[in-house]
Parts: sequence; C-alpha cells; structure tokens
Amino acid sequence: MDLGLRDKRAIITGATKGIGRQILELLIAEGCNVATCSRSIEDVEACIEKASTRKAQVYGDVCDIRDQEEYAAWIDKMVAQMDGVDIFIPNVSAGGGMDSEKNWWKNFEADVLGTVRGVEAVVPHMKENGGGAITMIGTTASLETFAGPQAYNALKASLYTYSKQLGQFHGADGIRCNIVSPGPIEFPGGSWDMIRDTIPKFYEKTLRDHPTGRLGKPQEVAKAVVFLSSPAASWCNGSNLVVDGGFTKGVHF
Amino acid sequence: MAKREYKPVARVSEAVPGGTPVEHTPPPDDLGYGLIPKSRYTSEDYMRLEWERMWTKVWLLAGFAQDLAEPGDYICTEIGRESVIVVRQDDGGVKAFFNVCMHRGNRVVAEGIDTAETFKCSYHGWEYGRDGRFVNLPNGELFPQGKPCRGLVELPCAEWNSLVFFSLDRDVMPFEDYIADVAGHFEPYRFDRMVITRDATAEWACNWKASVDAFNETYHVAATHPQLLWYLNEMDVQIDCYERHSRYLVPFGVTSPRIQRAPEIPPPLKFMMAEAGLDPASYEGPVDGIRDTVQKHIRATAEAEGRDYSALNDDQLTDDYNYLVFPNLTFNTHADHLMLFRHRPHPTDPNRMYFDAWTIEYIVDEEELPTRRPRHKVIKDGDRSMGMVIDQDGGNLPKVQAGMNSAAYEGLWLGDLEVRIRHFHKVMDDYLAD
Repeated sequence: MDLGLRDKRAIITGATKGIGRQILELLIAEGCNVATCSRSIEDVEACIEKASTRKAQVYGDVCDIRDQEEYAAWIDKMVAQMDGVDIFIPNVSAGGGMDSEKNWWKNFEADVLGTVRGVEAVVPHMKENGGGAITMIGTTASLETFAGPQAYNALKASLYTYSKQLGQFHGADGIRCNIVSPGPIEFPGGSWDMIRDTIPKFYEKTLRDHPTGRLGKPQEVAKAVVFLSSPAASWCNGSNLVVDGGFTKGVHF
Repeated sequence: MAKREYKPVARVSEAVPGGTPVEHTPPPDDLGYGLIPKSRYTSEDYMRLEWERMWTKVWLLAGFAQDLAEPGDYICTEIGRESVIVVRQDDGGVKAFFNVCMHRGNRVVAEGIDTAETFKCSYHGWEYGRDGRFVNLPNGELFPQGKPCRGLVELPCAEWNSLVFFSLDRDVMPFEDYIADVAGHFEPYRFDRMVITRDATAEWACNWKASVDAFNETYHVAATHPQLLWYLNEMDVQIDCYERHSRYLVPFGVTSPRIQRAPEIPPPLKFMMAEAGLDPASYEGPVDGIRDTVQKHIRATAEAEGRDYSALNDDQLTDDYNYLVFPNLTFNTHADHLMLFRHRPHPTDPNRMYFDAWTIEYIVDEEELPTRRPRHKVIKDGDRSMGMVIDQDGGNLPKVQAGMNSAAYEGLWLGDLEVRIRHFHKVMDDYLAD
C-alpha cells in the first residue's frame, strides 16, 4: 500500500527524540519532508544531520513552543523553507505529574495551547494548498482512569473534543483531523524506562494489564500516526485510533 | 544515541569552620588487589578468631542516649554470645555490665529497652542496683562462703554524639582514641535534635561481613538498586580510608552517569525537591541542576524553619556521607536524618547475622514529636519489608552466602569502587594478627 507521502511536507513539534523522533524518521523514510523543533539547538542540528536522507529533508530550528510569538515565527519559517505544509502533528507535551497547580498550567500551555496555536498557524496554509492532515497525540490516560487525578490526563482529554470539531469545521477545506491514543510506550531514555526502575510495582501492574505482557514501542505509535497523517487515510476524519496493544478495557461501540 | 558528556559532580572544596572535614584521604597504597579468602565469611575457625581478637577488643554500639533519658533507663543488647546492659546512673552517667547473674549464670534482664529500679534475677531473686552492686541476696545465710563478687561485672562505657558505646574488653583503649580517625566528623550533624522513627532488626542468612560489605561499596547500585541511578551518582564517590574507619561521600540529587538523559525529573528527585519545599513542576532548569538548587534552597530556608545546619557544608544538605565505624556500624548521615545500621554476628553460625536498622529524624518543633517511640520490629529472612533499598540488599545476601560456600568460589575479587571492603579487611587483619 502506498501511503502517498512522497514529497509531502510535515511539521511536527519536538521530534528530536522519543516517539516524535520515530514519527519523523518514518515520514522521512516515506519520502516526506519534515520540519521540527527543540529547545536545544544542538538537538535540532543533530537531528537534521542524522535523519535527513537523499529522499527527504529534515528542517528545523530552536523553538520553545510555549512562547506564542516564537512558536508562530518558527511555523512561518518552516512553512517558508518547505514551501508549504500538508501535515501537522503537535507532539510536545509537558508530561504527567501531580506536584502542584503548576502542572495544570504547564499541560495547558504545552499540550493544549501548543496544539491550538499550531493548528491556527497551519490551517491558512493548508487551505491555500487545498487540504491537509492534522494528527493529534492523545493518550489512553484520558480514555480510562490511570495513575492518578492529574492535569495530563484531563487536559489531553480536551484534545479529543477539539480534534473532532476541527474535522467538522475544516472538512470542506479538505483538512482532516484525527487523534491517536497511545498506551504506555517504553524505550531507552523514555518515561516508562524510568518508571520501570523507580516505581517497579506500578510498572509491573501496568505490564500485567497488557494482554501481550509488554508495553508498546515508539515505532508502533509512529506507524499509526503516519498512516492517519497520510493520503492513504483519506476517509479518516474525526477518528480516534487507540494504539495500546489492548491495554484499555472499555468497549467502543 | 549520543553518549552523555560526563561532568564530574561539583563538591565543596573546604569544610565550614567547625564542620565535617572534606579533604580526600585515599586508601593506603599497599592494599593491593589480592583475593580476600572466602573462609573469612564461612569458616567457624575464623569466626572464633574474630570473636577472641576483634569483637572482644573493640568499642561497640549499645544504642541511643535518648533511650536512656532518666536514671534507671536501660538498653540490653546482644553481641555474639554475650548480652550487655547499659544503664543511666543517678548522677547522669552511664554504666555497662555483662547481663549475667553471678549466682547461677542466668540472664538478669531480657534484650530490649526498659526502665528499672533494680535488676532482679528471675531464677532465685538475686538483685542488683543500677550501679551493678548487690542490693539483695535472698537468704544470705545460705552462703557461708560470702558473695561471689561485688555485683554485676562492669564494662567500659562511653557516650558520644548522642550514642552509647561499650566494650567487652576491660583494658580497651579510651573511646576518644578509638574514634579519633573520625573525630569532628559527626558533631556538625545535630543527632541531639533527632528522634528515633524506626527501630528494626532483621535476621539474615549471611555472614555479618557480607552485610557490612553491601553498604561499603556503590558498585552494586546499578544492578541491585536500579531506581537509585535516577537519584544519585554511584560512580563519582569520594572514598576516604582512615586508620580504622572509612567513609564515602555519595552525591544525591543527581542522576548516575549510566543514565544518558532523564526524560523528565525522575520521581525520586521530585520527592527530594518536594521534601526540601521546592515545587518540581515549577522547576525549569536541567535535571543536572537539581542538586545545587536543592542545596541553595535548604540553605536559604533552614534557619527560618528552625533547623541548625550552620556547621554543615552545602554538600551535606543533599549528599550521603556514609561512614563505616569499625567494626560494624554503617552511618548514612544526612542533614535532617541519620540511617544507622549495625551488623551483628550470630552467636555460633558464620552463615547467619543480625541487621539492626535505626532512623533518627530532625525534629524542629517539640509538638511534632511522635507520642510514642516506635516499637522494635523483628524481621526474619525478609518476611516483612524494611523498605525497597534494604529489601534489595537483604535479598542478595543469602544468595551471596550460599555462593560463597560453593566449592567453585575462592574469595572476593574486588575492584576500585570496592576499596573500602579491602581496607576493612586490612583493619581486621591488624586485629587478628595480635
């Protein structure tokens, strides 16, 4: 199956490492040019150098997406460098935590506003193109109770409603909007790597809740994100693709 | 992924006035790299030699002075085949006695902490005062030969930094000389303002030295305590070996060089920040900067909170200053608490031992004082948890002891991060050579 990504242009925030990096590399492998950002210029430069291929180019610059002006300027610059944008994947998250009220502000800033502001910046370009695809990153922690009452779970939840509405609102412009719900994903240097060492009981319980007895891999999420973002998913709009190996137990009728 | 560029942990370069010395005292050059024979851990002959030439010649911990607050308060503690009573005197001093009735040899009191007007033997009722002297010998006329002696047999006893020590050797060197290596190291910590919050003893199926060893090197952290790699640097430790005692200084509030990059602030570091009064969610700096931030924050707030950290250096506000006071005390000293471990031999079996763990914590406000001292918990072969880290160590030790007893095993093959174990055996050799 051809995903139809060759020579497309994708913007994904914060994809120099982790799951985002896997999405970026998969898009590149499909011949799609990708622009990304990080708060560290060294990480951006290393990503451009390592992940670019003869088929597709990585673009990037340093950007703290929590800064509204900096974020808008970065998107403008990336759109200009790639001469347009077909795909937008807001990937940056402030992560979990029950430390203080500050967690709510941080998740609102990074997860919610980081998505909303990015969408508003790319939509005019997509309209100009005659269409595009937005794929948000949700979490199974919004779909079922998980870990504890925290901002990450509750504020990520707002993205489900927002993405559904976006798909309706911009459908006529040829812009599709979907969301992926990854379950716990483990990889060296990732959060679950740290949880395995530091909160082993919670890790083992989570592992037992997976029918396959393992956590997900970044590549497994990346494949779902790349599919939904590609022209191959042309009839997917407003969908929520759960990628959790059967971790969540609720039935979606 | 790129290998993390390793920056050595920043350490204070000099002690604060009146503070714990910080200079590096490397181990003696002649420790070498030889094998430490396993018989030291497994043989009854060695155990006997150890008892005759070491245990009966050194200073040993009885317990905490706070358990001897009033005249008559006593601690009865066991070491090997002996049992010792340490009791507060009417004049405020302390005395130590063998816990043996001079009549027929019965133990006069049971192991534990209690208070007594007199010590009365349960067998025939011979009764001794707090000062050890006879106060009553029922039907004295039955002993025309007189009394066997003046009373309970007294032992040397010393109070030091809110701890009480005794020696089984009546000719032992003065305690001040015995502890001279580390004189001034502990005084800056306010043990006098800390109260006991944990008191537990575990019986483990290993030699007592295997237990000492488990807390005398950080090489095992990565395999045994992977959670600690997200909390401390087990590779960049300052190891100091003195004449008899030793220590290492372990930076806390950092991640191990084995961790390439923490994806977010690790849970144990979040806990450390919250304990210090910092909100991890509001911290915008790098994970590498947390130790310094916590140190500065504690320094800035301690006085207002009523904590006297004036004689502690900044590293002591986060790090573990871990001491071995020979032969069997492991001190994990921190500004706000002390975790003290005592490793005791089994009376007869080199393959068993007793591990005592106490925690004392800094109390700022008298009203916060726990209403009751925690009860002494006894745990046999891990049937109850002593906390994740000790459970992990205690889980290793019976397997270590079993393996040491194998025909395949000859002895300890020690590396540079384990040099304190080598130093410990050298001190042991000096005692056993006598």
